[in-house]
Amino acid sequence: MSVFDGLKFRRVYSPIHNLDPRIKFVYVCAVFVVAIIFSEILPLIALFLMPIPFVLLAGVQKEWLRSLRGAAFLAGFIFIVNIASNFFTSGYVLTAGAVETSAAMTLRFVVLVESFSVFFLTTSPDHLGLALEQTRVPYEFAFAFTTAVRFVPVLAEEAQTIMDAQKARGLELEKGGFLKRIRNYVPVLIPLIVSAIRRSLELAEAMESRAWGATKKRTNLYALKLHRGDFALLAITIGVLVVAIYVRLYVPVPAISQFL
Amino acid sequence: MAVIETKNLTYTYPGGTKPSINSVSIKVEKGEFVLITGPSGCGKTTLCRCFNGLIPHFYQGELKGEITVADMDTATHETHAMAKSVGLVFQNPENQLFALSIEKDVAFGLENLGMPREEMRERVDWALKLTDIYDLRERSPHEVSGGQQQRVAIAAVLAMQPEIIVLDEPTSFLDPLSAEKIFEVIHELNKKLGITVVLVEHRLDLTAKYADHIIIMDEGKVCFDGNPREILSTEETRLIGVGIPKATLLYHILQKEGVKLGDVTPLSSEELAKLLQEAFETK
Ligand SMILES: Nc1ncnc2c1ncn2[C@@H]1O[C@H](COP(=O)(O)OP(=O)(O)OP(=O)(O)O)[C@@H](O)[C@H]1O
Ligand SMILES: [Mg+2]
Repeated sequence: MSVFDGLKFRRVYSPIHNLDPRIKFVYVCAVFVVAIIFSEILPLIALFLMPIPFVLLAGVQKEWLRSLRGAAFLAGFIFIVNIASNFFTSGYVLTAGAVETSAAMTLRFVVLVESFSVFFLTTSPDHLGLALEQTRVPYEFAFAFTTAVRFVPVLAEEAQTIMDAQKARGLELEKGGFLKRIRNYVPVLIPLIVSAIRRSLELAEAMESRAWGATKKRTNLYALKLHRGDFALLAITIGVLVVAIYVRLYVPVPAISQFL
Repeated sequence: MAVIETKNLTYTYPGGTKPSINSVSIKVEKGEFVLITGPSGCGKTTLCRCFNGLIPHFYQGELKGEITVADMDTATHETHAMAKSVGLVFQNPENQLFALSIEKDVAFGLENLGMPREEMRERVDWALKLTDIYDLRERSPHEVSGGQQQRVAIAAVLAMQPEIIVLDEPTSFLDPLSAEKIFEVIHELNKKLGITVVLVEHRLDLTAKYADHIIIMDEGKVCFDGNPREILSTEETRLIGVGIPKATLLYHILQKEGVKLGDVTPLSSEELAKLLQEAFETK
């Protein structure tokens, strides 16, 4: 059962989780932009370190490390390709500068992954759904999102039950070659699909009965209001952008290899 | 004044060979507590779907006859227009809750109607308190028990303050004790707020005592319609397979054996106990 526990939606309270997801998203986009306009390693290191206080405040360090580890393989690949292309194009010599540029490229990728993962790790799905509802996204889309969050664990549990039931009747899931194994899952998939269709019909019926589509101007029980923390994050975001643009335009960024 | 009236209502599901309900003519008065019962597959759910316009708007198929609910003809009023007047609570609570918090679910109908936020907040809190789930309001529907989910479904319908509330076997997933609590809540709504209640239920032991009016269906037809004390006393209802309350059965056995009890047929064990007590005291 533990496999499916991860799918279950849990509401978490932390100063970071409580921030308005829209502002958090703007912050992520700003980090994105800054990561694109710099190719030097020093500012990228700064960008990489910046989310760490957020991660600690939100208490998601374990998940954060896991997502970084997930990105490590691709990061390594990017590093090697960069180094290799530099090596071959610059006459078979490996300079400190080349290593630094390759590291910077890799770090840029890591920063992008990191900022997105911090956003999704610290935003609970209901908050995200709410943000979707209150921006210009059509309500149907936001509804589909929250309903999916609500029903994915239910369907997962059902799949497990069907699998157990079919195994009890002698179905062997793990037998045979690759194709045979896929075919083994048909007796699990068919009841699962039938039940999902029945479920969605009942859901549609219940929605209709509760005035779904009565007016174009839907209202919302919750209002996303900006709190002090949100303004602080907004100020940080603007600060980061202003500093980054100023530095880009007027300050030459030194490379570490110059000091060696 | 009748709030629900049907005349020769007949409906066949698409692809169906015979009608699922067949010339149903019933009348439900304002403020009544009506119990609909009958064996499985006799068309109770189908009839409920007619009450709020799911038939003919959500289900195609062939509908004949007349039906007016809360002064509206369901043929010309879409389900979402009926929703303000008729609330429908379904059998399976799990598939009628779709939000990530209980209060958001209760608010769903009101959001759809475009109600201003402050008013909506008040209504939601009112409905949550009435069904005794106020403390659970921030939980997710999947974190609470079946009985609590059923209360959420009822609260969600109540929040819209309909004139009529139709409940299709609302306790089929619950143990008798939780079921009894739900029935008490429904009974109170009926008495205190004057909401017309149409309850589909097999467990007459728990519900017959609340009913002003009982409708018994079999194979798509209404076969009995009227006073529960009279109807549940007949031999025919037992033969159809209606679960007559034990107290009523026992009362008739005692009557047949020549034991003299009061004239009012009891519908619950409490009522029977009272009759027996009276009989002992007068002896
Ligand atoms: N969606 C549907 N499509 C086609 N036929 C249906 C549909 N729903 C019900 N029926 C048929 O209509 C008849 C009456 O079903 P209905 O669900 O109204 O019975 P019910 O009295 O509610 O039974 P139960 O006590 O089991 O809930 C049954 O024969 C059933 O097969
Ligand atoms: Mg039914």
